[in-house]
Amino acid sequence: MRLDRSALPIAAFVALAVVVAVVPSFVSAFRAQQLAYVAIYLIALIGLNILTGYTGQISLGHGAFMAVGGYTTAILMADHGVKDIWTIPIAALLTGTVGFLFGLPALRLSGLYLALATFAIAVSTPAVIKRFEDFTGGGSGINLFGIPELTASLTPVTVLGKELAFNDWLYYLCWSVALVGYVLAWLLLRGRTGLALRAVRDSETAAQSSGVSLPKYKTLAFGVSAAYAGVAGSLFAIATTFVNPDTFPISLSILLLVGVVVGGLGSLAGLIAGAVFIQFLPDWSQRVSNSPGAPSVVSGVLLIALMYVLPTGVSGLVGRIRLLTRRG
Amino acid sequence: MADFMQQVVAGLASGSIYASLALALVLIHRATGVINFAQGEMATLSTYIAWTLTTNHGWGYWPAFVFTLIVSFLGGAAIHQGVIRPNEKGSVLRVVIVTIGLLLAINGLVTLIWSGEVRAVKSPFPTRTVDVGGVAISIQDIGTIGVVVATVVVLWFLLQYTKLGLAMRAAATNPGEARLVGVRVTWMLSLGWGLAAVLGAISGMLAAPSVFLDPNLMAALLIYAFAAAVLGGIDSPVGAVVGGLTLGVGLNLLGTYVDFVGADLRLPGALLVILVVLLVRPSGVFGRREVRRV
Amino acid sequence: MLRKLALALTALVTTTALAATAAPAGPSLAGGDPGVTATSILLGTTSPLSGTASAYASVARGADAYFKYVNAKGGVNGRTITDTIVDDAYNPQLTVQATRKLVEQDKVFAIFNALGTEQNDAVRDYLNANKVPQLFAASGATKFGTEAAKYPYTIGFQPSYQAEGWVLGKYLARTQGSARVAVLFQNDDYGKDLLNGLKRGIVRSNVKVVAAEPYEATAVDVQSQVAKLKASKATVFAIFATPKFAIQAYFQAGKLGWKPKLTLNNAVSSASNIMAVAAANGPALANGTVSIVFLKDPTDPKWKTDAAMKLYRQVMKQFAPGANADDVYHVYGMAAAWTAVEALKKAGKDLTREGLVKVVSNMSFSNNPFLLPGIALKTGPGDHFPIEQMLLQRWNKGSWKSFGGLWGYRGT
Repeated sequence: MRLDRSALPIAAFVALAVVVAVVPSFVSAFRAQQLAYVAIYLIALIGLNILTGYTGQISLGHGAFMAVGGYTTAILMADHGVKDIWTIPIAALLTGTVGFLFGLPALRLSGLYLALATFAIAVSTPAVIKRFEDFTGGGSGINLFGIPELTASLTPVTVLGKELAFNDWLYYLCWSVALVGYVLAWLLLRGRTGLALRAVRDSETAAQSSGVSLPKYKTLAFGVSAAYAGVAGSLFAIATTFVNPDTFPISLSILLLVGVVVGGLGSLAGLIAGAVFIQFLPDWSQRVSNSPGAPSVVSGVLLIALMYVLPTGVSGLVGRIRLLTRRG
Repeated sequence: MADFMQQVVAGLASGSIYASLALALVLIHRATGVINFAQGEMATLSTYIAWTLTTNHGWGYWPAFVFTLIVSFLGGAAIHQGVIRPNEKGSVLRVVIVTIGLLLAINGLVTLIWSGEVRAVKSPFPTRTVDVGGVAISIQDIGTIGVVVATVVVLWFLLQYTKLGLAMRAAATNPGEARLVGVRVTWMLSLGWGLAAVLGAISGMLAAPSVFLDPNLMAALLIYAFAAAVLGGIDSPVGAVVGGLTLGVGLNLLGTYVDFVGADLRLPGALLVILVVLLVRPSGVFGRREVRRV
Repeated sequence: MLRKLALALTALVTTTALAATAAPAGPSLAGGDPGVTATSILLGTTSPLSGTASAYASVARGADAYFKYVNAKGGVNGRTITDTIVDDAYNPQLTVQATRKLVEQDKVFAIFNALGTEQNDAVRDYLNANKVPQLFAASGATKFGTEAAKYPYTIGFQPSYQAEGWVLGKYLARTQGSARVAVLFQNDDYGKDLLNGLKRGIVRSNVKVVAAEPYEATAVDVQSQVAKLKASKATVFAIFATPKFAIQAYFQAGKLGWKPKLTLNNAVSSASNIMAVAAANGPALANGTVSIVFLKDPTDPKWKTDAAMKLYRQVMKQFAPGANADDVYHVYGMAAAWTAVEALKKAGKDLTREGLVKVVSNMSFSNNPFLLPGIALKTGPGDHFPIEQMLLQRWNKGSWKSFGGLWGYRGT
């Protein structure tokens, strides 16, 4: 019985992996790079989903966690000669710790207050980064393009017998990490942990009275989701080949939350849809009109409309289709 | 000593501007339980309307002012009815997303219509300065503080001593029971949004003469207003004013006399205030503690 | 069971299909450089169409209007110029993505007139490594002109901020005796560059900077800073800021009853937008303000009958209807576009990126109609600053009046 139930998601996942592996042969190198960014956002959304979808804690500050990961990678690569790939687990660990430490005081906040607190952190992040100039390069940021620690930015690299230029290498790196990240999240959430986290979301008081340790699970959720954001930030720095305080503005944090809600909390398809939305929204809004201010109007109206039409996000729509087809 | 007092005076002036927007945030939260991320943008739009009436259409200051308040009220109520209501039954998250959508849309709209150029807005108060012991105090700033204090008094009176205020408070805290006693909850919520929009418009028109008008008038101000509201208690109008003034003076003194803070850490300073208050006493200095019923 | 699998797969495939929709490959001559065909040239520009710097979107718009005008007259060597403008909301990360899109997907011939210091900085390595011209970067950051050996494909346009600060400093040194200067500056490369230039200009003179207060671009107002600067008892107030804060500085100084002599940097000396507002709010202070200028300001009565400015207004009316032609940022864009057109002409019918870079690295144009008379566009080995000359101007009763001769700056 148990094997049967697991077989389904595993098959879907394998199908996804196959599609991912094959896509670059069909699209331009530039598209591959855009899809790499989709993978980066997906990683961040998987993390945010654990926090918001599972324990119900709203964060408008995950851009700040991405900044921690991104700067960790940049500083390690530029100042300490660490190869790009090896900075990723370090960024994950560091950001996860920061997230966990934030989760401790955050235990006292809920709902809108937590949203406000995380909003405050995200808004102040660029200023704090600038303050510690000597460490972070201040307003000028850190440039990674062309340094030896960054793979393939100048010359293609050979991986598993195949020669990859920067865009394709980036694509495979980001999607491999995303797939691994998804599997890890799935494993974490399927057992008692997932149940406990969901119990916290549905009713904290009930969960507590059933013996679920609130502090343990809430801070765990924060730490894990921050670690994911840190990894996303790390890859973000590698992909952009440049970090500076303005590359992690408050709009990034807002977009991540938007992505999670538009995608719909809970399903992988939804999260992918959310990541695609984040990556391509600026493009789409500009296609409608390029006049100053117009892209913003389009984005805003689109958001409001989406909440009206798809209140439970894309994955909610998928769920509804399922219900319909089941009845029919 | 005069320099110190000048910083204090400057701090009170800035602080009163933070307080004016904080009032709008407090009212929305008190009346509807929502934190409206678009409050600042709505205020900016109102200010642009007042500006264009006086500058491009030759209206007098006071007619334009009153008209703007009316339009803001209707606009705020309309936004509640059209945009917020459909999402009220859903999760808190949906409302947050929708107010963010409003923020983006209104900010873009203002840029689209009026471009990013900086505009001057007239002030109802004379810009003369009075010299008191070496410290320059502007009549305009005194006027701003006066208006803010008057607004708080009116608001407090409305909420505490009128039937309407009672109905609004009931609709916010206990919608189910309020309906049972005949309160038209939805209308009360829209009324709350309308009034908050009016407060935002007043805030914009107080701020613009000295901060000058451009599409990002309220973007920076919003954070300071949030900090002021949280510090004073997100449900307390009096707290918003006290919080705003304290924040203005405090940040100025910190920025001037503490080298580490300087110019760049003023904003994080405000945000640190938000964080610390939320962690230590979430209800703020003047707020009441929230009790959760099982 | 199968349904769930099918659903997930469908979602995935649809998403990737959406994303993989074939993007049309950019135009190119067989075997030639991308972005050039027998009849067209494709340029790319990143510009802050949304966000806090949207006031600078006019730079790209002015340039675009001029290209359309040139196309209407037959183009350059038989080719029409198209300038694709992409919004980067002043966020360098978006600039990187937009620039890559322009280069790799749209396959532009060159990146032109991209706005912003950090924004140009973020893509400089990438463009040079891929041998794509980074033409006339719209930023006065000194680095874009100095590191020519390392970044041969990058050319600046306007006078560097250091040069500006230096000229203002030299002016103060020559005319203000032993003045005490207080400076308000934006806390980023832009403001710091200007301040450094000023300090260099006053070295070996009796002028001293007695106070320098930074402010963050995210500030609400600069009351506190101006109060602190007044407390330094300086007699000269230098404002190195962006429009909103420059106007605020005037207003606050007036409120405090402070009456220093004022100087402003060029980016905020636009007559219609900034000075008019500043003067209305602090007339006593505005008169006598000194700034530098290198473009013709459309609201300056001096240029009312000037042929170039008449052309400017005509071009704006025809090809950028609805835009505010009084906005001097449009003139900046047009001046850059004029230079691009001349450079393309000189690069010849056989147009390559190498060829264009060669022309702009060694150019000498002295007749750009949108620049002040006498100001030349000159670059050479090690010098990628096209404009290094400027005039001083003084504001008096509603308009600027330039005075003195041309100032030049040999940058390092």
